[in-house]
Amino acid sequence: MLSVLVWVPIVGALVVAVLPESSIQVSARRVALAIASFILLWSVYLMLQFNVAESGWQLQESLPWIKELGLVYQMSIDGLSLPLILLNSLLTLIAIFATDLNINRPRLYYSLMLVLSGAVAGAFLAQNLLLFFLFYEVELIPLYLVIAIWGGARRGYAATKFLIYTAASGVLILVAFFGLALVSGLSTFDYEALRSHSLPLSTQLVLLITLVIGFGIKIPIVPFHTWLPDAHVEAPTPVSVLLAGVLLKLGTYGLLRFGLGLFPEAWSVISPGLATIAVVSVLYGSLAAIAQTDMKKIVAYSSVGHMGYIILASAAATPLSLLGTIFQMVSHGLISAMLFLLVGVVYSKTGTRDIGVLRGLLSPERGLPLVGSMMVIAAMASAGIPGMVGFIAEFLVYRSSFPVFPVQTLLCMIGTGLTAVYFLMLVNRVFFGRLPEALSDLPRVKWRDRIPAGIIAILIVVLGIQPNWMLRWSEQTAVAMGTNTLDRVTAMQATEAVENLEATEVPAVKVSLTLD
Amino acid sequence: MDFANLAAQLNAGAILPEAIVIATLLIVLVVDLITGRSSGRWTPYLAIAGLLGAIAALFLQWDSSTPIAFLGGFNSDNLSVIFRGIIALAAAITVLTSVRYVEQSGTSLAEFIVILLTAALGGMFLSGSDELVMIFVSLETLSISSYLLTGYMKRDPRSNEAALKYLLIGAASSAIFLYGMSMLYGLSGGETRLGVISASMVAHSGEQSLGVVIALVFVIAGIAFKIAAVPFHQWTPDVYEGSPTPVVAFLSVGSKAAGFALAIRLLVNAFPTVIEQWHFVLTALAILSMVLGNVVALAQTSMKRMLAYSSIAQAGFVMIGLIIGTDAGYSSMVFYLMVYLFMNLGGFACIILFTLRTGTDEITEYSGLYQKDPLLTLCMSLCLLSLGGIPPLAGFFGKLYLFWAGWQSGAYGLVLVGLVTSVISIYYYIRVVKMMVVKEPEEMSEAVKNYPPIQWNLPGMRPLQVGLIVCLIATSLAGILSNPLFTLANGSVLGTPFLQAARVTQPVAQIHTEPANIASDVKL
Repeated sequence: MLSVLVWVPIVGALVVAVLPESSIQVSARRVALAIASFILLWSVYLMLQFNVAESGWQLQESLPWIKELGLVYQMSIDGLSLPLILLNSLLTLIAIFATDLNINRPRLYYSLMLVLSGAVAGAFLAQNLLLFFLFYEVELIPLYLVIAIWGGARRGYAATKFLIYTAASGVLILVAFFGLALVSGLSTFDYEALRSHSLPLSTQLVLLITLVIGFGIKIPIVPFHTWLPDAHVEAPTPVSVLLAGVLLKLGTYGLLRFGLGLFPEAWSVISPGLATIAVVSVLYGSLAAIAQTDMKKIVAYSSVGHMGYIILASAAATPLSLLGTIFQMVSHGLISAMLFLLVGVVYSKTGTRDIGVLRGLLSPERGLPLVGSMMVIAAMASAGIPGMVGFIAEFLVYRSSFPVFPVQTLLCMIGTGLTAVYFLMLVNRVFFGRLPEALSDLPRVKWRDRIPAGIIAILIVVLGIQPNWMLRWSEQTAVAMGTNTLDRVTAMQATEAVENLEATEVPAVKVSLTLD
Repeated sequence: MDFANLAAQLNAGAILPEAIVIATLLIVLVVDLITGRSSGRWTPYLAIAGLLGAIAALFLQWDSSTPIAFLGGFNSDNLSVIFRGIIALAAAITVLTSVRYVEQSGTSLAEFIVILLTAALGGMFLSGSDELVMIFVSLETLSISSYLLTGYMKRDPRSNEAALKYLLIGAASSAIFLYGMSMLYGLSGGETRLGVISASMVAHSGEQSLGVVIALVFVIAGIAFKIAAVPFHQWTPDVYEGSPTPVVAFLSVGSKAAGFALAIRLLVNAFPTVIEQWHFVLTALAILSMVLGNVVALAQTSMKRMLAYSSIAQAGFVMIGLIIGTDAGYSSMVFYLMVYLFMNLGGFACIILFTLRTGTDEITEYSGLYQKDPLLTLCMSLCLLSLGGIPPLAGFFGKLYLFWAGWQSGAYGLVLVGLVTSVISIYYYIRVVKMMVVKEPEEMSEAVKNYPPIQWNLPGMRPLQVGLIVCLIATSLAGILSNPLFTLANGSVLGTPFLQAARVTQPVAQIHTEPANIASDVKL
């Protein structure tokens, strides 16, 4: 059942790669769209099969693979991965739909996009640590190639930077996994087996910090973020959509699944540090976004900032904050995808993304009025205006993190204000005012350009008004993860207290002995 | 000693695979003499049939109950079977890729094949030799045929230069190796059989540690030359660049595998008393090889030189398995060599094809190749990415297995160096992929612009195509479907008595040394 999400795109990619030469543009696009639509439908079907009342793994699949390595083909889904799977399927379809009709080398392009989608789905579903790592690395080369081939002027540099950063993050993750499997003495990479095994705190800390840096590069957290603006600016629009919408979520997903899930005790120790990193990311991302003149860079830095909220809520690790984390992942995925799509439309029509040059695009006759209105919606959603998905997500994050980290949460709230600042600056410069003569002969915006962003806009509003339609899928899992963390932390504190007590008792006994 | 007893001691059936290769070699030679130049049409197939026959014969020897042959001179245990298989397979694929190359250069194909088969024969005997003289004779058979092969393009000055360099350095290293073996002979009281040397070393440990260490250093120098480990690697880039490419392909896989077979057998058997010392030396060599090989490869502009440094680095990775010395370590090493065979030969097959069509092997000349030759681009990309350890290709699983085995036995430093350098290696492998795949048509290089139309029906092209596709399929699927290979690699280690015995004797050796030390202390 779940394997369909991985293997259909990959087999589909092979099919696309061998399509006949005649009218390849149309046929490759059609096949890719058909596969992506099927995947989306299948994800919806899985969602309907999903039992909301259940907090653990569902629809499990398991096949032995390489025994010597402890590598088992083990997949399943829970409330944490289900929304991300849906997001991945949706954004893949949208990214393929939003692709330029006359793209260069269509066969390779659509194949790589499908492989990317399959690999990401595999990473979200993997229940074996090595299997996760395998999919995490599989995604590397297709993404490198799509940036390097279809990217902007400095694409070679950006793609290589992305590759090296992600490969380094992969190595750190692998080291942490190796270390965990070895230290636990189980010599297995099975997630459940490792999770139920409790390690001493110091070991956990070493492994967790390695893991946090590894996933931190992917998320990205400041100071490992520099690859992201480069990659976003150079990547073609559909790839930016996938990158911001889905691929960054691999980092936060990994952090929650493997960091919090496997090392809850150590997590409670480093969580203040994580919250501080979140604050730095939020403020740095927002301030850097204000300073940018390239629209895509603004959106990219806003991504750095908004990923910070996810880290803040993950650090708090209460049931409610984990729910907020999952919701913020989905909300950020939708909003940033929409922003990138709209920036892509503006760029393709005007030929520039410089907010110093663009002006008055909202002009009803000759400008891009509908695109401009949608941009305003997206900016509002991103800034957390009530009625949109961003409001619910940020409200959940703040509400749940405030009791745990009051200072950090307050500082992060400044970021929300700053979001409004830079997006208003962007909207104000680019869409308001008089349309200059130089921009008056814009090509017509077709419905094809508007539909992808429109669909996301509808989702943003609907989920903003009726958040429970999304929250219900993850609620049980988030609660279970949160309570499990709390239980293990309290258990650890209890044993520590006992040990301390013993440590103080022993001299007392000795003293009494000498007195005798 | 009656005849039946002697026949049992000789146990000539153990070298059936080698006998098949010898027979093939002679037939090729004679047929070439009789039919003259027209023999080139089918001698390659004869040679391949012979090598495949040898591999089939090796299958029959798997788990053989009487592995010892020739009065202890040759040991056909599972480990030797697997290494002989790797060498024979490497030779077979090399023959496939060399037909067109040799014909285009205007030299005689049959002679080339004969020398190549001799080299393979030397390597196969080396993998199983269990006795010092046998080791040296087969090592020289391999080496001398390799020198001949590197200089096979007589009219090409670079080939001559490569052969001369290889010969001089190789002869010096053989001499050093021989000197080390002579010391072993003396230290063990005039024994040449490895098993007896091992027992005698253990029995006399503590009395001769300095002599053993010197012998060890000399022996390692000889082995490190064969596997091209830093700092004994200096010949590699020059020889790889100058030699005919099919020869380089064989040297980088077949000759290297033989070197590793020799390393396992000799080091584990002859130096049980100085295990820590040889582990230390090899650790240093492995780290140097991984770091230097991967870093220097970044700066190369010639494809063959780049693969030369990459092969140095790969030798460093394989040495991890040798150093940790556990069952998992040895079998991960064997497994890595098996997948390395396909990915490296696949890479070289692509270089051969590209050189045949354009006459150059500069990396920049590959620019924009996808437009003209998608199959070559695909094959080269997959082989290089596999060498870089990108999943789901075979090299990823090989590296994962090596690193996991290393990690399990506590070689954290080595594994971390391996992981970091493999990130570096991705950079130079992807550079070539980028050249071929990413460059736009307008950035196409001159060589690719003048790319000849693809004609597989030219004489000698079909075998190359077959070799290419075999490597391509094996590289893509050997990782995902690697269970049979894993079983094979594990079986080769578990079914080899001396590796299993080594684990038992190690503690014994330590117990032996302790009283000896105490005794010497008392004397003082």
